[in-house]
Amino acid sequence: MLTHARDTAAPARTVVVGCRGFVGSAVLARLGELGWPAAGVSSDDVDLTADGAGGALAGRLREDDAVVFVSALTPDRGKDAATLERNVRMARHVAEALIERPVAQLVNIGSDAVYDEDANPVREGSCASPSSLHGAMHLVREVVLTDACRIAGVPLVLLRPSLLFGPGDTHNGYGPNRFVRMALAGETIKLFGEGEEQRDHVFIEDVARVVAEVLGRGSSGELNVATGSSTSFRAAAEIAVELAGGDAAVAGSPRQNPITHRHFDTAAIQVAFPGFAWTPLREGIERMVAQEC
Amino acid sequence: MIGFLGMSHLGLVSAAGAAAKGFDVVGFDDDVARVQRLRAGELPVVEPGLPELVADVGDRLTFTSDAQRLGDCELLYVAVDVPTAPDDTSDPAPVEDLLRRTAEIAAPGACVVVLSQVEPGFTRAFCELVQRDGRTLHYQVETLIFGRAVQRTLEPERFIVGCADPAAPLPRALRAHLAAYACPVLQMRYESAELSKIAINAFLVSTISTTNTLAELCERIGAHWDEIAPALRLDARIGPAAYLTPGLGIGGSNLSRDLAAIDRLARRHGTDAGLVAAWRTHAAHRVDWPLAVLQEQLLAHVGDPRVALWGLSYKENTQSTRNSPGVRLAGILARAGIDVTAHDPEAEAVPCSAVSLRRVAGALEACADADALVIATPWPAFRDVAPAAIAAALRGRLVVDPYGVLDADGCRAAGLSHARLGAPLPENQLC
Repeated sequence: MLTHARDTAAPARTVVVGCRGFVGSAVLARLGELGWPAAGVSSDDVDLTADGAGGALAGRLREDDAVVFVSALTPDRGKDAATLERNVRMARHVAEALIERPVAQLVNIGSDAVYDEDANPVREGSCASPSSLHGAMHLVREVVLTDACRIAGVPLVLLRPSLLFGPGDTHNGYGPNRFVRMALAGETIKLFGEGEEQRDHVFIEDVARVVAEVLGRGSSGELNVATGSSTSFRAAAEIAVELAGGDAAVAGSPRQNPITHRHFDTAAIQVAFPGFAWTPLREGIERMVAQEC
Repeated sequence: MIGFLGMSHLGLVSAAGAAAKGFDVVGFDDDVARVQRLRAGELPVVEPGLPELVADVGDRLTFTSDAQRLGDCELLYVAVDVPTAPDDTSDPAPVEDLLRRTAEIAAPGACVVVLSQVEPGFTRAFCELVQRDGRTLHYQVETLIFGRAVQRTLEPERFIVGCADPAAPLPRALRAHLAAYACPVLQMRYESAELSKIAINAFLVSTISTTNTLAELCERIGAHWDEIAPALRLDARIGPAAYLTPGLGIGGSNLSRDLAAIDRLARRHGTDAGLVAAWRTHAAHRVDWPLAVLQEQLLAHVGDPRVALWGLSYKENTQSTRNSPGVRLAGILARAGIDVTAHDPEAEAVPCSAVSLRRVAGALEACADADALVIATPWPAFRDVAPAAIAAALRGRLVVDPYGVLDADGCRAAGLSHARLGAPLPENQLC
């Protein structure tokens, strides 16, 4: 649940840590649309895995900054314990920076992977019991940052997005992004099983808009970023094929794992931001197709 | 003579009920102004049938703020309403205060009864203080239901009486009073009686929660709860009076308070109350159903939406706005800058200062130029408003009517898009 500190107003400046990634660049773009002061910090500026990164980051921050922390080594760059360790180290350095230079607000963009796989519908109070190192990493980072913000007196927002898709995604994970690219290339989209699993696919620009909302309201608390509408992978693949306009096929494969669905109870985000309009999956895929073409 | 201490909802209705059964009754309250208003016939609560009942009993029911008058009573009920905090914890301080004073004032041999709801262990802790000079102390379960309190008081299903010694006969004055209602009297130890009250509400919540869980499923799979509920009522194991009407969570503060009490007791004693946690989570999930429908069918599609809201009390026939879904919805929308115009039949008496919204005297006046109507409280008067008149007043078509106050067919005939709990949601006309 979120608590808002004010009516919408631009923060003095927003610093996006991890500004070159899929999410970070979308957040910067959104802030640009709004005309809100913003600055990006990339790994070229501060390598958060390096010793002394906390001090280096603190040197770039002002006390009236809002900080969006989205920098992470994503699963496509490693799913092992070593990657977890490096990701946690990044959070530790952000925590050190906040304690050295407290700021006006921290927005951490994590993941719904922190929740138990069987949590349905997922809500902010659902049991955080990750089944993967990736989920455990996000949970540990949340705890590290929560502790630092408590010490530093910094209002903290923990955002936990569901599966993201949209133009600019470099991960090419199983889901709409890969489906669109395969459909455009005329390749057969191979599903796990028959693609029955339902997931809540969130368009990247919607995440950026939610980040802007919590920045504007000076919010604090926890919030899942999900539309409340889950769609099967097969349906997503078929939409991609239809909108790509080619003759790509969608094919199933022998099922290796039991079917799991994920639905979200989106009451908290409705209460926090009544009237927030999500981009429908079909429209998001349509825009991806246009971009990829 | 019977004395009732605390002239708020519970005490006043109970005192009037005893007078209606032919007893001479004195109602005591420290609040001098309240007593003066009661003497003038001005009641501090809205309760159907209560003004008529108080008028009918005439001089058998008198009011006083002079505690010494209680010394004349053979039977004294401590019946003050127990305040509940936003976190659903109760504050027993007013009951404790009145019990201590009663212990000083009550005549030797008098029977003192705690009617206010207290947690297990409360009554026994006061035994030593009260049970002197031949006085006795008992606990009696109250089953007051806002909006039906008079009928429940005059025609109780049974009395549950907590005693220091359940095998001992009840004092003559208490026995005579309870006999006037011609219903079973169950004697048990204090702790059993105190937990009985909580148990009753827990069973009600279990039915409500089951109903709400299945009603939500109905909305998604094309089933209609209205068709299912009659089949359940005819099942003897469920019963005709079961709580099978879907609602926005579990309603007012009493049920929430008792769930919190179970949770607290279970934590203290190491028992498993995971089921209660699930009920509370599901109640929180359903309370925002009107917002979810508005979001899906209106807010995400219309710029500067305007919403008409009927009902601010937490249920019909009561003033109370505690845990009111309407007030909650109004607050969420108003804080987001969404225009809300509200109407409630008891609007003058409903304290709603926490929410900034425009309130009007007429139901249709609230609908004027609104994109949607939400009926958050099923006041009977709302049933009399013709769907065609609503359609004429609204600029939009959406009616969010969780309790089905309006006739669904009539709404459809008037061109309205009618959404109610437990029924398939209408097609979104804005998509």
